[in-house]
Order: sequence, then structure tokens, then C-alpha cells
Amino acid sequence: MNADRTFRQPGRWAVLAALVVLAVVMLFPFVIVTLNAFKSPAEYSSGGPLSLPHGLYLDGIVAFWDRVDFGLKLWNSLLISGVVAVAAVVLSVLNAYALGIGRVRGRLWILVLFLVANTLPQEALVYPLYYLSKEVGLYDSKLAVILIFTVIQAAFGTYLLSSVLGQFPRGILEAAEIDGASRRRMLWGIVVPISRPTLSVLLIFFFIWTWNEFFLPMVFLISNDNQTVPVALGVLQGEKMMDATMSSASALLGIIPAVAFFLIFQRTLTRGITVGAIK
Amino acid sequence: MFRVGRSAAVAALAAAALALSACGGSSDDSNSGSGGSAEGKTLTLWHYETGNSAMGTAWAQAMKEFEASHPGVKVKFEEKGFEQIQKTASMVLNSDEAPDIMEYNKGNATAGQLSKQGLLTDLTEQATKRGWDKLLSPSLQTTAKYDERGIMGSGKWFGVPNYGEYVMVYYNKDMFDKAGVKVPTTFDEFTAALDAFAKKGTTPIAMAGAEYPAQQLFYLLALNKANRAWIDSFELYKGKVDFHGPEFTYAAQTFSDWVKKGYISKDSAGMKAEDMGVAFIGGKFPIMVSGSWWFGRMAEEIKGFKWGSFLWPGQFAPGSSGNLWVVPEKSKNKDLAYDFIDITMKKEIQNLLGNSGGVPVAADPTAITDAQNKELIENFNKLSTQDGLAFYPDWPAPGYYDVLVAGIQELINGSKKPEEVLDEIAQPYNDNLADIGN
Repeated sequence: MNADRTFRQPGRWAVLAALVVLAVVMLFPFVIVTLNAFKSPAEYSSGGPLSLPHGLYLDGIVAFWDRVDFGLKLWNSLLISGVVAVAAVVLSVLNAYALGIGRVRGRLWILVLFLVANTLPQEALVYPLYYLSKEVGLYDSKLAVILIFTVIQAAFGTYLLSSVLGQFPRGILEAAEIDGASRRRMLWGIVVPISRPTLSVLLIFFFIWTWNEFFLPMVFLISNDNQTVPVALGVLQGEKMMDATMSSASALLGIIPAVAFFLIFQRTLTRGITVGAIK
Repeated sequence: MFRVGRSAAVAALAAAALALSACGGSSDDSNSGSGGSAEGKTLTLWHYETGNSAMGTAWAQAMKEFEASHPGVKVKFEEKGFEQIQKTASMVLNSDEAPDIMEYNKGNATAGQLSKQGLLTDLTEQATKRGWDKLLSPSLQTTAKYDERGIMGSGKWFGVPNYGEYVMVYYNKDMFDKAGVKVPTTFDEFTAALDAFAKKGTTPIAMAGAEYPAQQLFYLLALNKANRAWIDSFELYKGKVDFHGPEFTYAAQTFSDWVKKGYISKDSAGMKAEDMGVAFIGGKFPIMVSGSWWFGRMAEEIKGFKWGSFLWPGQFAPGSSGNLWVVPEKSKNKDLAYDFIDITMKKEIQNLLGNSGGVPVAADPTAITDAQNKELIENFNKLSTQDGLAFYPDWPAPGYYDVLVAGIQELINGSKKPEEVLDEIAQPYNDNLADIGN
């Protein structure tokens, strides 16, 4: 027994060491950002990015907040990501109900279409979307971005949910049908509650993905009043100059909401990933 | 069988209803943002300079003066990101969301491109009427005028620059004193100074091979063998450029020699401009060859030693006007925009720009109080009057910046011979000439 333990230990230590190294590698950028966010520009220039700050220099964060009206940007991001997350999940559920449970004819090809649409780079979408939104008067409005991302996220959601619902236990649905439940009732009373963990995961992913989007919001949200957090961070990157300390301050401000959101919902996340269809 | 028709309709309705109800409130304020100019009482203005930079300071003052001299008109200023303006300008200017006046990048690929697409207002009449053409020296006007192909140097006025920029030599006075090196006035003295530092084991020139500083030094070396006709050929396509002529051959050979002699570090191939600046500010190098855009930062952040700047020993140096004020064709208040440009060209605003560490184009040199600012501006004026502004090496062709970065990195690494590098950078240049029909 004793021999067994010593035999096992090196392996465990190796795993532990590997995990520690991985954690350090993952956390390193965050540490650097945090370090530099609290440094004055002069300290940064004389000591470089790795030196420790001499004191807590909060001017960078405060100045950035005022400069871009960060409160407003947070609200914009929250509104856009929130609406997109909810709308895209609803749209995905409705699509997937038809494709996964409804067994529409040609569903495989519909799914392939969704998948292809999903792999299109956003750069390819920019011009068509620009002309469309200009035609309908939605250019430079949050609604344009909300509609675009609802569709983009729902494309992925439909693809994923359709395959999940394709495995949905037939027995339950048949039982409900015998009891005389309508299709709508079956969707909202049975399918949605049972797949709730998967839906919550989708909701969280959609929120975070939309939150982090940069390119399309940059193109479609022209007025400063409409901009989201990532677009506002872009203000700091000049033509030839970058303000490293203020960029760090802004990066810190930019990731805090996403991290907070993740921490709040991380239980749901882990539960959603591990939950199976039926027990 | 399941009926799709109904479920799809429900899906569309649900999504639409949700989206609409959720942003009913927000679309209101997005309308008032740009719609205010309908009565001609708001001048919407965009620029991308930091608030505390020389330009940011001067322009904030110009906005105040504009509001004072135009009672009832409000300036609605929005600070933009450089990248956003670069990537979306043609789309914005083609829509009704275009601002009344904005800062935009000078050059063929930027302002030239927009002027060709008809998105910018022709300012020629205003420039002559308001005397901007007299305030700006000919080499500064080069970047303000674009012909029908969108190529700078001739044609109509599409922009007005407020400030200039040029590449110079920043030096660490303390390190110079310690090594017993004097400020060089000729190119021979300059190389002697580099040699003195290298012999003592100090790499003299802070360099960044991954970004613009390397190609600017390379270009400076070529300029030492060049004349105005060669620059006009290279930058404005007024003649043929031989990449194996004396200018570029000398530049490539000398650059490569300087790396071998230890004037430039071999490790600098992967450095970025920011790394170079931080290294110089940190007192690790005695010399940094770069542009006036660093000046404000040097003044603010160098604490541990005395520093100064001098002109590159030679007639020419990379430099030009700064970015331009342009008036979009869709601007709703063009007259107000012209008035605003006029205010930025006034002595008081130009002097403020100079006193804040920028390079004004029409300031009164006696009104500049700070000694270092004065030196900066006097050097610029000297360069400008000796017809020394030679623009930038990456201007002639789209994507040429990356070609030059790659080529000069090979010089630094020593992975290719100077002649091979010259062939490499000649190809895209000549391809572009064929594209524009020269």
C-alpha cells in the first residue's frame, strides 16, 4: 500500500505543476493589465510594463471613465447584449423545435445552411448590411446591431439546439400528445423546461459573445451615444501613439463586467454543461 | 407532420416584438444625436486627438472661440478612435450620419481616396478667399490637394492641415556629456558620434524594426543622397525611380553596415515603436530617430535626464503636414465648417498649438515661450524653408508600409543581402505604378 502511494505521487505532482503553470500563463496578461492600470504614464515609461507601481494611481481609470462617458457605454453594451441574448435564445428555440423535434423535410440542408452562414467572416457581411441598414433607416442605431447579432447568434443556437432536441425523448412528447397537449403547449410546457440548462448556457454565451463584439458595432454605431464598451476602448489607440497605462485602465474596466457576469452565472454554466437529457 | 409555416411566423413575430419593445427608448436618443443639425444650429465635429495633446488643446480652444463668434450655434464634438475613422469613413460619409467637419488622414489611400469618390467638399475657393494658401508653405500644401485620380500634390484643395510633423533626432544630453560627444551638425560628425558610443559598448540608436521607425531611418539615409526631383519621382510619380540607383543602394548598404557595427541592435527587428520610445524615455539609449509626435510625451515623461532634439544632418527629412480638416460633401453646415477651419488657422490658436508642444503651421515664433517647444518649431520652420519635407516612405503604394517593414527586418537580421532587399521592395512599388497607369 505504501509502495502504491509513492508510485502514484510523482504523477499527481506533475499534473498539479502543469495546472499551476497553465493558471499562471492564463492569469499573466490580467496581472500585467492590472499592474499598469494603476501606474502613472511617467512610471510606465521609466520602469517599463513589468515594474511594480509605486502607489495607487487612479487618474487613468477616472480620466478614461470621463473621457468616453463609460457609464453610458456600459448601459449600451448591457442593453444590446441582453436583448440579443434573450431574443437569440427564443429564436433558436423556435427554430430548433421545428427542425429538431418537428422533423421538417430537408432539415439537414437547412442546418448545413445555418452552419455555413455561421462560418462567414463578418467582414464579408459588412457592406450588404451597411446598405440594407441605410435603406431602412437603421444605420447608426442600436436596433441595427441588435437585429444583426440576434440573427448571427441564433444561427449558431439553432444549429446546436436542433441536434440537442433531435435526441429529445420521444416518449415524453407522445405521452403529452395523447393527453391532448397542443404543439405550443408541448414547446413551452415540456421542451423548454426540460432543456432549460442548455438554454441558460446559450443565453450566457450569447451575452458574452455579443458583449465582446468589436467589428460590426464599430461600423454600425457611429455616434458616441450609441457605442458599446469595446468600441469605446478603441478610442485610446491613436495613429502612432498609444497610452499604455490608460489602455490598461480601460481594458480593466472593459473586462470587469464580463467577468462579473460569468462569476454570477458560472454555477448555471457548469450545471448546463454536465446535465444530460434525461435521468 | 409538423407545420413549419406557423412556427416560423411566430418566431419572426416574437423576435421582432422583443427587439422593438426593448429598444424603443434607445432609438429616440440616437435620433436626437444627429438630427439636431437640421436647423443649422449645431456644428457636428469629429476628431481623434487626445484631449491633452497639443492639437486637442488648441482645437478645444478653437471650439470655444467658434461658439463665441457664432452666437446660437453649438459645437457638438465627438472624440473618435483612429481605427474607427480609418475603417468606416467612406461608409459614414456616404450616409446621412456624416459630421459637418472632421479630422482625416492625409494621403492618397485616405483623403485622396475619399476625394475621388466624391465624398469630400472642394475647398479651393475657400482656401484662396480666406488666404489659407498663403499661410501654408508649398510642401505642406502637397497633402491638402488631390487630383481627379486621388493623388496628392496637385489639383483641388480637399483638406486643410493645422499642424506639421517631421522626423528628427532626439538625444539624451546626459549620455552625450558623459561620453564626451557633442551634438553633431554634419553627417560625418553624426557617424563619429555613433561610433564613439558603439566603441564604449553602448548601442547608440533606439530602433523598432517591426514598425515605422526602421523604414524612416532607411529613408533618411536614402535622402542624404537624394534631391527634390528624386523625392517627387518616388512620392508623386513625377519620374522613374531606380531602386538600384545611388539613393536606395546607399541606404540599404549603410543600414546594414550600421547593424554590423553595432549602431543598431540586432534584437530591434521585433521591437515596436512603443518599445523603442519607452527604452529611450527609460534612458537606455542616447539617440532615437523619430517623429515630432513623440515630443509631447518626451516633455511629460522624461524625468531622470536632460534631453533635446536636433535636425537630422542632411537637407531632407521625412515629414509633411499633419492630418487634415475635411468637410464631407454631405455636411449640412458647410459655411460653419469653413468658419471653424478659419479659426483654427488664426494666430492665437496656432500659437496655443505651439505652446502645447505641437508643430503649428502658421504661428508667430516669438509667441512661443517654452525653450524646447521653440527649438522644435524653429527646426520645423528651418526644414520647411529649405524645402526639406520629404513625406514618408510608405506613402507611394497601398500596403507599402508592410513591404518596407518586412524588407528592413531582413536587413536587421542579416537574412538577406541589401541588393536582394531592394529588389523585394521595388516590386510592389512598380506594380502600383502600373495599376494607376503611370
